[in-house]
Amino acid sequence: MEMDTDAGNDVAGRAFDYDLFVIGGGSGGVRASRMSASHGAKVALVELPYHPISSETHGGLGGTCVLRGCVPKKILVYGSGFSHEFQDAKGFGWEIDGEIRFNWKKLIQNKTKEIERLNGVYKRMLVNAGVTLFEGFGRIVDKHTVEVKDVDGQTKTFTTNHILIATGGKAVKLNIPGQELGITSDEGLSLEEFPKKVLIIGGGYIAVEFAGIYSGMGADVHLCYRKSLPLAGFDTEMAEVVARNLEARGIKCHKHTNIVKLESHYLGIKATTDTNEEYHVDQVMFATGREPKTANLNLEGVGVELDEAGAIKVNEYSQTSIPSIWAVGDVTNRINLTPVALMEGTCFAKTVFLKEPTKPDYENVAHAVFCQPPLSSVGLTEDQVKANHGGIRGEFKIFTSSFNPMKNTVSGRQEKTMMKLIVHGATDKVMGAMMCGPDAPEIIQGLAVALKCGATKAQFDATVGIHPTAAEEFVTMRTMTRQIPKGVRDVYLRESRACRTSMSSLSKL
Amino acid sequence: MISIGVPKSVAALCTGGIARAGALSEQATCSFAWVQSGVVGKSFGWSVGETLKRSQPRRAFATRSRAAASGGVNGTVADSKDSEYDYDLVTIGAGSGGVRASRFAANLGAKVAVCELPFSTISSDSAGGVGGTCVLRGCVPKKILVYGSQFAHSFEDSKGFGWSYDAKPKHDWNMLIDNKNKELNRLLGVYKNILKNANVALIEGRGKIVDPHTVDISGERIRARHILVAVGGRPYVPDIPGKEFAITSDEALDLPSRPEKICIVGGGYIALEFAGIFNGLGSEVHVFIRQDKVLRGFDEEVRDFVAEQMSLKGIKFHFGESPTAVEKGSDGKFTLVTTKGSEVADSIMFATGRKPNTKNLGLEDVGVNINSKGAIEVDEYSRTSVASIWAVGDVTDRMNLTPVALMEGMAFAKTAFGDEPSKPDHRYVASAVFTQPPIGTVGLTEAEALETYGDIDVYTSNFRPMKATISGLGNRTFMKIIVDAASNVVVGVHMCGDDAPEVLQGFGVAVKAGLTKAQFDATVGIHPTAAEELVTMRSPTRKLRQKSNKVAEEGAARPV
Repeated sequence: MEMDTDAGNDVAGRAFDYDLFVIGGGSGGVRASRMSASHGAKVALVELPYHPISSETHGGLGGTCVLRGCVPKKILVYGSGFSHEFQDAKGFGWEIDGEIRFNWKKLIQNKTKEIERLNGVYKRMLVNAGVTLFEGFGRIVDKHTVEVKDVDGQTKTFTTNHILIATGGKAVKLNIPGQELGITSDEGLSLEEFPKKVLIIGGGYIAVEFAGIYSGMGADVHLCYRKSLPLAGFDTEMAEVVARNLEARGIKCHKHTNIVKLESHYLGIKATTDTNEEYHVDQVMFATGREPKTANLNLEGVGVELDEAGAIKVNEYSQTSIPSIWAVGDVTNRINLTPVALMEGTCFAKTVFLKEPTKPDYENVAHAVFCQPPLSSVGLTEDQVKANHGGIRGEFKIFTSSFNPMKNTVSGRQEKTMMKLIVHGATDKVMGAMMCGPDAPEIIQGLAVALKCGATKAQFDATVGIHPTAAEEFVTMRTMTRQIPKGVRDVYLRESRACRTSMSSLSKL
Repeated sequence: MISIGVPKSVAALCTGGIARAGALSEQATCSFAWVQSGVVGKSFGWSVGETLKRSQPRRAFATRSRAAASGGVNGTVADSKDSEYDYDLVTIGAGSGGVRASRFAANLGAKVAVCELPFSTISSDSAGGVGGTCVLRGCVPKKILVYGSQFAHSFEDSKGFGWSYDAKPKHDWNMLIDNKNKELNRLLGVYKNILKNANVALIEGRGKIVDPHTVDISGERIRARHILVAVGGRPYVPDIPGKEFAITSDEALDLPSRPEKICIVGGGYIALEFAGIFNGLGSEVHVFIRQDKVLRGFDEEVRDFVAEQMSLKGIKFHFGESPTAVEKGSDGKFTLVTTKGSEVADSIMFATGRKPNTKNLGLEDVGVNINSKGAIEVDEYSRTSVASIWAVGDVTDRMNLTPVALMEGMAFAKTAFGDEPSKPDHRYVASAVFTQPPIGTVGLTEAEALETYGDIDVYTSNFRPMKATISGLGNRTFMKIIVDAASNVVVGVHMCGDDAPEVLQGFGVAVKAGLTKAQFDATVGIHPTAAEELVTMRSPTRKLRQKSNKVAEEGAARPV
């Protein structure tokens, strides 16, 4: 790895304007800038002007996570979750006379107020860290020069020892006729009018999260995905639970459904499937993936290599094919999660400015899907261990528990919480922990610490439960549900799955 | 009498358990005979409301072989002839600890009976019920009521998220209590089934120990190789004038109507949980605490934080006030008289501690030692001063939590019947307080850690959770990690805020496993959650150096 941090001069011997110039003020870029500055580097960062909906000309400090992702999404999830609370409250003796109304505009206003506040917080954080901020479009001129074009079209160039690209990604639509009639998650978080009937195309985490949001707020939601289950890549059994819960909460799931055409219609939008079925809806949302934002950065011009997916190729230290140019976050398409971008940014700063080469560690990164109820997972899935993922071989013990959470016993809600532990037979190490049910993301975080450190099932069992919680089930799963020998047939698994029924967690006492 | 067929799987389980103790073939036969006797209705398997007849068929093999198999462990238990015992184990009390111990002992091949008082939501010398405190008068009904009252805060929260109503939400206390009782009855059934499926005989009645191997259950004498006392505890009300007018948590969970105003005496977790319940459901709540802070024994910062958050919701704390009397007025209201003044309310609740139920059990007469607090003294294996008598759960007043009683029960079963002496491990037991907001905690408090390790690093975070940024309410979350500076091991994690009990369980695993702060930091967060804060606390709030300062001082005093 070539690191000329000591130089501080370009080839011609001139001093660089900056030690580091960062393009993109999202999670990864902001973290890298702050940490680099705290290690003594002179840092500048360029970000597009703020707008809730991203484009080639707009973005904003905070990036996808704060402005168009995690944060506004979760606020809307909270907002929609109240409708389920109102239903659940009845069994607990609550009654609300008259109408319960939901005001979408008020929620969007409050959401926008909050993300604008956070946008300001990010700005202050950078300023306080001594990072110089530029508003405009950043473009790489050569391996030590960045050009900033501001909103008025004025351009300035700066020399820098290192360049960090942290421009993130953006939502993509399917290339089908009438695609301009549909929206993406960006617009979905900022719609002027609340749609009464929505079609969501896609089965990934964004699709199921938005399905829950709109449905909870009273919309008639149709979710169309190509495969037989949503959440491809997740544990199949957990995806089945999610699909069941979506349906139970009123979302219409259409599997094996491909939308091939969108058309304007006097009542809204008409969507047609490949089997000529038609949906008439107010709004169509594409949740059909995201792609790295690499356009107009002049990456090819300076020789930064991209992969087939359009992501910047980097080595384990986030360095691109040009030694002075680095990249972190979604633009590298490794694991596209905020905390991972933060980790990459921190490691980059340590590597370059503390001269402590540090690789981000992608093992046992936990994640959550804020469908309702949410799904969270850390480590390997059952599908992965069956496929000998990562070369881990041998026998695996699968512990599962499906139970009626206490709140549901009184509210009458028919929805089971599902938990699963995957244990390596030979070492007793817990290789995977996952849950679909209320508070799953909050519950998995602590287990992720344990998995990260190679905790064994015996250590889980030695932990005394916190009663009464759902989480205690994770430390009281005494009986194995099934074992996975190599090459086991799916049929066998499905049968044993069906056999196992668990009562409430209380029945274990 | 209800006769039951023993499912094959249970028989197999028994066989397996016995097999571990040795002599497989003999006992397998015996197990089969046992199943037969259940099927033909001469069951000792399960009976409610009837006492057992001594003429019932017994599984003599089990008792005999047990003595031989466990001789090493239970060397002090006198060996005996086949016919001497009716049961390998008679458990007095079918709460969490008793049920767990009985089930596991039965799984290990023991012939087990458990006796329990008839069901009532309010416990007394003559009433109890299968499930015990946790299921009938504690954890479960309490949490159902906490859920019920939390909705009030959800309604408040929802406004900032765009929700509005024509009318203020109304709450029907009786519906909540009815639904709660329905759930308790369901669980009561579940517990009875658990015992039935484990082939544990359930005998309704009051158990009294007559001699080290005999229990009298409502006049019927039953001989047992081992006796397990798992009778739990009960609320304690100090002896002040008018104490008969006060209610305890037992009654509070089953009141005929919700008091418009309630005075709660006590600053422990029960007092605070009920304060939250009644506050959420709309009552005016006053809490009277002898000391100047709530929750003695918890981390000081958590104590301050939770009191502040509860005050914000309208709960009024009266610190430094002790109750001196309760008076009943002619208007049906009650007056709580304290050292500082008085308060009139619809109900006066005492949450002034709990006491082990050790009276009238015959314990003293057979020589079981009881400590000054009335708890049964036990060794690390839960054995009392009488070798054949054991005790688990709240009656031993070690750590009065359901999962701890379960652990003690299981360890006892392994020790006495599994040929595997097992000590329950009371270190790093996580626990929760279902206040609003709730508390989750594992390991040492800051003061305890300082005392134990001398040099500690304390990481704290006090933030406004995302929900509150939109609801506009004053809810905050507090988190704290305490690290032994010398080893970097995390020795305490505390949280007060939404979901704290759920959050802490996983961290409980991590702390129990002895993980370091560096290992916490190496864990990637789950975004956006509150829990991720616990793996992203990078810089210590304070570094306390009691030991090294001392060393440094001593070092400085020495001539170099």
